[in-house]
Amino acid sequence: MTYLSLDKVTKRFRRETVLDGVSLDVERGETVAIFGPSGGGKTVLLRLIAGVLDPDEGDIRIDGRSVIFDQPEERALGMAFQNFALYPHMTAFDNIASPLRALKQSEAEVRQGVQRVADLLQIDHVLTHLPKALSNGQKQRTSLARSLVRGPKLLLLDDPLRNVDAKLRYEMRIELPRLLKQTGATVLYVTQDYKEAMALGDRIAVLDDNRFAQIDTPANIYREPVSTKVARLLGDPTINLRQVRPAASAKGGSVELFGKTFPLHVKPVGAADCLVGIRPEHIKVSMTATENGLPVELDAVTPLNVRSVLLLKTPDGGELLASCSEAETARLPRGHRNVWIDLSPDQFLLFDAQTGERLGGAA
Amino acid sequence: MSNLVLDEVSKIYKVKREPDVLAVDAVDMTVNDGEIVGLLGSSGCGKTSTLRMIAGFEDVTSGEIRAGDRLLNDLAPAARNIAMAFEGYALYPPLRIRDNIAFGLLRDRRPRTEVDAKVKEIAHLLDIEGILERYPPTLSGGQQQRTSLARALARDADVHLLDEPMSQLEPQLRAILRARIKDYLIENKLTTIFVTHDQTEALALADRIAVMSDGKLMQYATGDDLKDRPANLYVASFIGEPPMNIFDTLSRSGGDGWRLQVQAPGDAATSDLALQLPVGTAADGELTDGRKLSLGIRPHQIRFGSFIELGPVLKGKIASNQWLGDQTHLGIETGGQLVIAVTDGTVDAPVDSDIEITLPLNALHLFDGDSGKALHHGLNKRDAAA
Amino acid sequence: MTGRETTKSRIIRGVLLTLVGLFFLFPIFWVFLMSFQTNQDILRMPPSLVFTPTLDNYVALISGKLETQAGTLEIAFMGNLLNSFILASCSVALSIVLAIPAAYAFARYKFRLGEDIAFTILSFRFAPPLLVLVPLLSYFQMLGLYNTYFGLIWVYQLITLPLILWITRGYFEDISEDIEHAHRIDGHGWLKTFLKVAVPLALPGIAAAALLAFIFAWNNFVFALILASADKQPVTVGALAFVTASGIQYGQIAAALILSIIPTLIFAIAAQRYLVEGLSLGAVKG
Repeated sequence: MTYLSLDKVTKRFRRETVLDGVSLDVERGETVAIFGPSGGGKTVLLRLIAGVLDPDEGDIRIDGRSVIFDQPEERALGMAFQNFALYPHMTAFDNIASPLRALKQSEAEVRQGVQRVADLLQIDHVLTHLPKALSNGQKQRTSLARSLVRGPKLLLLDDPLRNVDAKLRYEMRIELPRLLKQTGATVLYVTQDYKEAMALGDRIAVLDDNRFAQIDTPANIYREPVSTKVARLLGDPTINLRQVRPAASAKGGSVELFGKTFPLHVKPVGAADCLVGIRPEHIKVSMTATENGLPVELDAVTPLNVRSVLLLKTPDGGELLASCSEAETARLPRGHRNVWIDLSPDQFLLFDAQTGERLGGAA
Repeated sequence: MSNLVLDEVSKIYKVKREPDVLAVDAVDMTVNDGEIVGLLGSSGCGKTSTLRMIAGFEDVTSGEIRAGDRLLNDLAPAARNIAMAFEGYALYPPLRIRDNIAFGLLRDRRPRTEVDAKVKEIAHLLDIEGILERYPPTLSGGQQQRTSLARALARDADVHLLDEPMSQLEPQLRAILRARIKDYLIENKLTTIFVTHDQTEALALADRIAVMSDGKLMQYATGDDLKDRPANLYVASFIGEPPMNIFDTLSRSGGDGWRLQVQAPGDAATSDLALQLPVGTAADGELTDGRKLSLGIRPHQIRFGSFIELGPVLKGKIASNQWLGDQTHLGIETGGQLVIAVTDGTVDAPVDSDIEITLPLNALHLFDGDSGKALHHGLNKRDAAA
Repeated sequence: MTGRETTKSRIIRGVLLTLVGLFFLFPIFWVFLMSFQTNQDILRMPPSLVFTPTLDNYVALISGKLETQAGTLEIAFMGNLLNSFILASCSVALSIVLAIPAAYAFARYKFRLGEDIAFTILSFRFAPPLLVLVPLLSYFQMLGLYNTYFGLIWVYQLITLPLILWITRGYFEDISEDIEHAHRIDGHGWLKTFLKVAVPLALPGIAAAALLAFIFAWNNFVFALILASADKQPVTVGALAFVTASGIQYGQIAAALILSIIPTLIFAIAAQRYLVEGLSLGAVKG
């Protein structure tokens, strides 16, 4: 059942359009990650829903009722900000208590309510501190506690993990989904980090160039991105894109890459230029020659945590990024050397070179 | 040039009406000719102060910085033959990007044609060919940072110092630029020291990484060693994404070896979780009844399923199952503890389903519970002791 | 970059600062000395730093009796001091009440002619006061506002209101909008958000503005000269009484000056706490 509904919402600042007729339906209890590059209008979207900005066109409905004429204080939702937006002159306790005080609850009720979320988020030992005495992680939890304390049915989280250190961000990435499911709230989660979006979102809404490029489950977006833009936004290292001119055949089609011909699983439309997308983890790298392997030069190995990224120079002078598990590339010496790669064409993504749209059906 | 040596280098900042700040505490390290070294730590750990002392922007309070036999302490920055990329870019706003990059080269009195070729090469490397004729204020943060990097890398200096060189780079470019820069540094044998708070960046670029915390050098080693042989709990939990799983335990002797009783975080209450170490593990010598020990295991070394011959097996429930495209991160709740495991590919296990995991003995790290110092890496064989 | 250079630059900086300090503080120092001298000492040529200090000037001011060669003169200096205090503090208080909501509105809401109105208020500071005062005098006499505290405080708004409005507006603009938005989303109305979040956070700015406005109002001369007679005059106008038929009483003028500096000085020291206490530090990520 739809709980939050955005209907062709448009927002302009002066002459600049920040959101261009965006629509989105969010189910009750669902977490939707709003993901996209900075400046794409993600934050503005949350502010429109919160009511601190007004849309120029379109409608916003919460539980079936239009709220665009409601003041922010009438919308009964919770919001956590990227910069935490704590009240600097109030203790952590008073910060968290603010939504309860607005409900005119008795001091005993307020105390109880604050204690409950403070326990949940493990910040009960810092409740008497002013924000300036809190670490970034504690600030982040305090701001989260404030947004949760009233038990809102709709929760807006504006990149809440952006300003906390890597370790805590990681822990929260694991912890937050459980917490959100516990509250039963419908959640919009804004992030610039595709991993966070994939980890936290039941669905991801990719906001790029002021409109939603794709709204789907993490798996579908990663495996079947609608365009090169979306494909490039998800995945680290970024997807390899190569311009090719596919040849149509009776069976489907084929492309020539690095002097080899690969059959295609989708039929290229006409014989126009296409971009073939190869995810770095789909390139199989071998240190010794393989039967169908393509010899390439390995220029650099940049080890990450669990995987390593390999910079490969193809015979035609182009670059390819491959990502391997650590074991495969363990302790390679510095310097250039020859390696062999195997590509599996059924994992290729094919895009229209002009529009960037993906061609063909499911991969 | 010869090796760059930091010998017991300390930096103390004097602040009026407040206690002195010991920003860098007797740091000892050597950077070999042509080596790429990362200074890694969270904000305020002293990494930037260290870099600025090497550059000559900060006085050394005590200790020596030497290049070979030459003492650098009292040398002005301009006399040290260094190139630096600043965190705030510090581009010259009235100069075009091309001239910003060429500035240092022309100052070094290099011929114009050579300078032009160098600018072209470095611009190609950093993907800024298209903006060479533009002016810094019209560029995005990422483009400005790439220009600043280009200016530092183009120069033929003894040491290249890079302060948070990639913090503002566009995420889609990060992986390829890292690889290209690393290739460039190695090919041109540039001695490089860079500062970063991002361990991914440090692991990707550096030959050796100096992990700093509170002004102290926690460990100075290769990325592999930081991962496989962390010197202490700080390094163990700082390196890795996700970081190492750490259990605070108490050792208890038993008939068939030692039990490590896991303590719940926060208070002293004992959780239901205990790990059984078979007789004859390398750590036996360290174990005394009731000793506080911390046990660590990297998330990607946890095995799914029961392999009793490899090490302790735990039963748990899936708390989260997050597929991130090229890997899956699992949160597993066991005995009141959250264990994080990572694997390539997907794991077909819905949230709340039961799972068994094995913690292979050879992947276990043992730390002293009080000092945090590493005791053993890998507990399966006696001769594997640290 | 070596230790020597930093010490050298430190010495140069110290010398320069002392010179600047001397340049600005010398007149006050000289006036302070004058206030303990008789007129004869002051007018002696060449001037001398050696004299017998006397408290006569202060006694005369505080007792209200000025002994001159021509006889005893009544001076209302203490009354003037009280007038100054009433005028300056009431003007600032009224301005705060009026200007802070206005400053907040200008900072947060973009409305038609908003910038124009704000600029018009600022332009009050540009107009030569005398040009306004002459017509104002006749109005004031007609309305019965001439020589009343109320009338003077009203006119003093020309000085204090724009000052407080423009300074606090800047402070309101510096507060992260997110903090106020968060408070609204918590369920509080805009008035509560203004009073409980915006005003407390702008307090250092309000204190700074109030202090400046107080000093400007305290130092005002022409408004009171024209719109008030003896019993409502502040110290600035009252000091004219020392220009007597038998000569200028430099010693008393100096003592009056020292006495009139004291209230602003106390106010400045009291407000300093707010000026330096950056309350908004640590509000957002740090």
